[in-house]
Parts: sequence; C-alpha cells; structure tokens
Amino acid sequence: MQRQRPLWMLVPGGVLAALLIVVPLAVAVQISLLDLDQYSFRQWLGAPFVGVRNYHEALTRSPLAHSILVSTGYAATVTVVTLPLGVAAALATHNRFAGRAVVRSAFLIPFVLPSFVVGTLWRIILQPAGVANRVLDPLGVPTGLWLNGPRSFWALVIVQAWAAWPLVYLLTLAGLQTLDRDLHEAAALDGAGWWAKLRYVIFPCLRGPVSLAMLISFLHDINNFALPFVLFGVPSPHDVEVLPVLTYIESFQNFRFGLSAAMAVLSVALIAVPIAVYLRAVKLDVGEEARTT
Amino acid sequence: MTDVLPGRRARRDPEVTQLLPRPLRTLVIAVLLAVVGAPMLYMVLASVNSDLAVARGAVLPTGLHLDNYVRIWSTVSLDRGLVNSVAVAGTVAVVCALVAVCSAYVLVLHGFRGRLAILRGLLALQTIPGTLVLLPVFVLFASASTALGIQVIGTRWALFVTYLTFSLPFSTWVMVTYLRGLPRELDEAARIDGASSWRILTRIITPLSWPGLVVSAIFAFLLGWNDVLFASVLTNPDTRTAAVALQVFGATQEGGAIPVYGQLMAAALVCALPVVVVYLVFQRYLVSGLAAGGVK
Repeated sequence: MQRQRPLWMLVPGGVLAALLIVVPLAVAVQISLLDLDQYSFRQWLGAPFVGVRNYHEALTRSPLAHSILVSTGYAATVTVVTLPLGVAAALATHNRFAGRAVVRSAFLIPFVLPSFVVGTLWRIILQPAGVANRVLDPLGVPTGLWLNGPRSFWALVIVQAWAAWPLVYLLTLAGLQTLDRDLHEAAALDGAGWWAKLRYVIFPCLRGPVSLAMLISFLHDINNFALPFVLFGVPSPHDVEVLPVLTYIESFQNFRFGLSAAMAVLSVALIAVPIAVYLRAVKLDVGEEARTT
Repeated sequence: MTDVLPGRRARRDPEVTQLLPRPLRTLVIAVLLAVVGAPMLYMVLASVNSDLAVARGAVLPTGLHLDNYVRIWSTVSLDRGLVNSVAVAGTVAVVCALVAVCSAYVLVLHGFRGRLAILRGLLALQTIPGTLVLLPVFVLFASASTALGIQVIGTRWALFVTYLTFSLPFSTWVMVTYLRGLPRELDEAARIDGASSWRILTRIITPLSWPGLVVSAIFAFLLGWNDVLFASVLTNPDTRTAAVALQVFGATQEGGAIPVYGQLMAAALVCALPVVVVYLVFQRYLVSGLAAGGVK
C-alpha cells in the first residue's frame, strides 16, 4: 500500500532546531575565529578575522587550563562520592517494606529541586556566620569561609553531591529491577550470605548500569552552570571557576566574545568523548519499525 | 531506560530477593533521609525565621515570622518573576507537547529515509551544553533587532523560542517512546477509512497519548522554570523569570546592612514548591524520564 507520508509535520520542530541549535553551533565556531567585542557585536559579521588566535590565547594565556582542572576534578569527585550513596540507597529500597514508596519519593527530591533553589539554600547555610559553621563548630570542625578560598571547592562538591546522588540511585535501582529472580534463588541455594551475594552476584551484574550512571552523572556535573553561578555568584572564587561559568564571565562580564566562543568550543571538545560513549550506550530501541525504513 | 515503579516485582517469597539485612537497611535509609531532609527542613524553618536570626546561623526560629511570605512579593519582586516564569514556561509546555506529538507521529508511524538519523539526532541534541549556544543565540537575537528592527532580547519571546527549541528534542523523544506503545493498526484502519494524516493525528493519536503529552509538557515546563543561564542574559528587570529574580536578589544580599535571608528562604521555597508538587503528583510517569534528562 502506498502510504501517505505527512513529512510536513516535522517542519516546525525541524525549523526550530535548525535556527536555534544548528545555526548557533556554526555561529559559535565562526565567532571563535573573530575578534568580537561589545562594540562590534551588532555587526558581528564585520568583526576582524583572527584565525586561531583566540584558541591560542585560550590555551596559553587564559584561566581555561585551570578551569578544566577544576571542572573535571569536581565532576569526578562528585561522581565518586555519589556512587556509594546511590548504590546503598538502591540496595536499601529494592525490597518491599512499609513506607517504601514514601522513602523512594523523598530520596529523589534533592534531584528534582531546581539548581537555583539548591544554590540559594546552600548559599545561606554556608555563609560565614551561617548554620553550617554554627553546627560544625561544636563537632570540632574549624569554622571558616566556605564560599571563598580553598574550601569553596569542597563546598561545591558537597552541594552538588547532595543534589546529584539520586541520579545514581535512580539508575542503579533501574538496573537492580532488571535482574532475574533466578539469580537471587541461585545465590540462596548456594547459601551465600548477604555480603557474598552482593559482592559476587549482584555487583558484577550492576557493572553496566552503574557505569552508565557514573557517565551520566559526570556529564551532569560538568555541564551544570546554575549551581556554581548561584552558589558563589560572579566573579566566582578562583577555586570554583568551572568551565561554564568561565565562558559565561568571558562573554557577559569581560565582553571578549571571540575568546569565550573559543573556550566554549574547547570545553565541548573535552566532553565529546564521554558524550560519544553515552550516545552509543543508550539504545535507540527502534525495534520493529526500523525494518520499514 | 527501565521504569522504576513500585509493585512490579514477583511477590513469591520476598525473602529470596532480600539484599540487605534489615538493621543495615534501616540504618542506610535513616542516614540518607537525614542527609536529604536536614537541609530541606532548615529551609522551611529559616523561611519563617527573622532575617537577623537566619543571618546569625540560628536553627530554630525565634518566632513565627510569616510576614516573610508577604514581604517577598515586593522585596524580591517575586510576583513579576513568577508571572513571567508561568507565562513563558507554561506556553512552552503546551506548544512543545503539540509540536513533539506531530514530530513523533511521523517518526514512529511513517517509515522514511533519514528517520533513524533524526532519532539519533534527537539524542545528540540533548547533550549540547547550553553554554555553547548561549553566546551565538544572544548574538543572533541582537543582530535580528539590528537587521529587522525588532527588539528580541529582553522580551518574553526570546525566552519562549529558546526554551521551546531546547525542550523539543527531549519531549519528542518522550513522545516517540510513548507512541511506540500504541498499536499500529489504529493508524492503518483509519487510513483505510480514508482519514487524512492530520485527522488521524488530532482525532485518534493525540487523545490516546495524553499521558505522554503530559510528561512532555512537564519536562518542557521544568526546563523553562529551572533555567538561569539563558534567562540571566535574555531578560531585563521587567521580563525576569523567578529564577533570575531570586538569583539577583540573593547575590545582592552580601555587603548590605542586614541581609534579608529569612525572606530569601521563603522566596526559594515558593519557587521550589510547584516543581516538588508536580513531581509528587506525576512521579510515576516522570521518574524514568528524570534519569534520561540528567545529561545536561
């Protein structure tokens, strides 16, 4: 049967994606090759072409290298910190018990809260005279500045870990639920204790979902702009000058648009590998209708 | 992504699937609930505390300062922010769900060359960081006003178009997953009866796929509601969303005489409330999408 193909229905979405995603990506690359500032940006096509000079400056005479270290260091630390929390939470809520639905809902709330709310909340908690120092002082933790200086890095790690661990929990729980009941029965037949069962039966099966969770979590952390922006404000302290904030400041505080675009392109190159791995790992799941193409 | 829904497990002999001994399980849950709950409880307590007490780090309120919730409307200009947020994110949600169902209908029920490439593209588009496109979008909007004489930056339209575009890939993906579950015979039977594609879409597909539409709309709404990056550059004080109003207000507190932290907490709570309520009401449908949307 000759089917009618209403391809025109793809037009609205396609036009928007082309105009606001594809064209801007090309423009981003073009701007990165121009010496564009606040005076020339309304006629940006006429700005002087400087070739790779912005890239050269970004790599040699800008805080970009420092930001790459901060961003990857913080995202990796958060991922490592959230891993045991997420896995423990998934293991604890896998089996039924009274009130499980409530616990599961509550666990996800930090992840559901908007980043700007999380940032505002912790900005107040961590202010110098704030409740964090007030509570930690009697516990023997020396009081100090959390939103400035060397501790700010750990402040960012703690807050992002608080907000992002449910992501690992969610993906691990999904992984646990795909495990076959036979697996549990086999472990019980062999008389495995709970730790032996986890160590030798459950964890090996979770390697796939947990790896994916770590990858998604890393990308989620490294791309987060709102949390560091709201938590520390701009200009941001040196120790938490993450990539998204750096490119933002370079554009909208320093008005070095060309340099900022070069930085943005370079930071995407940095996360291109994890993104490619992620895209390969997510199944397209096209199933039956794939054959009709 | 696999669903995380309660009550899906086999019910026979629940002891076999037991993973943690009961005391350990209770301990893990108690610790994590405390970690999650303590800051949120503090937010509630601080939102009814006096500004001075919050600034001094008091945990328990010195009195019930419910006037925080009255004063935020003028100090934070939260009223204007919320109106802007609801107007922009709400419109984006509705339009996005409708555009997404159109695209998904074609992608799922009609085979054509390039279909797989589009599906792959939908996933890839979701991973593009906003910081990469912010500057070019800003420059393009600015040159649009120079070239066409229309002011774009500073209007709600700028935000609407931007959020719509960035929510479409994910919402379309959600609709594609949803429409795959509908029997293909529906489309074929209606076609044999001589119905046009538009008629099939509006009279058959859309009424059957409202749960998918709701999920698409909610994620589009949240994208707009939660965004700070685009809104901080594309708005002016009149068109500011609640997110930017809160961020600007929070950033100006230090250095002043008495920071009005109690009110700031109340305002943060008001901004968080719709999101948490929507999540709690629709969580069965939203949970599997939450993880998929976590990349960006």
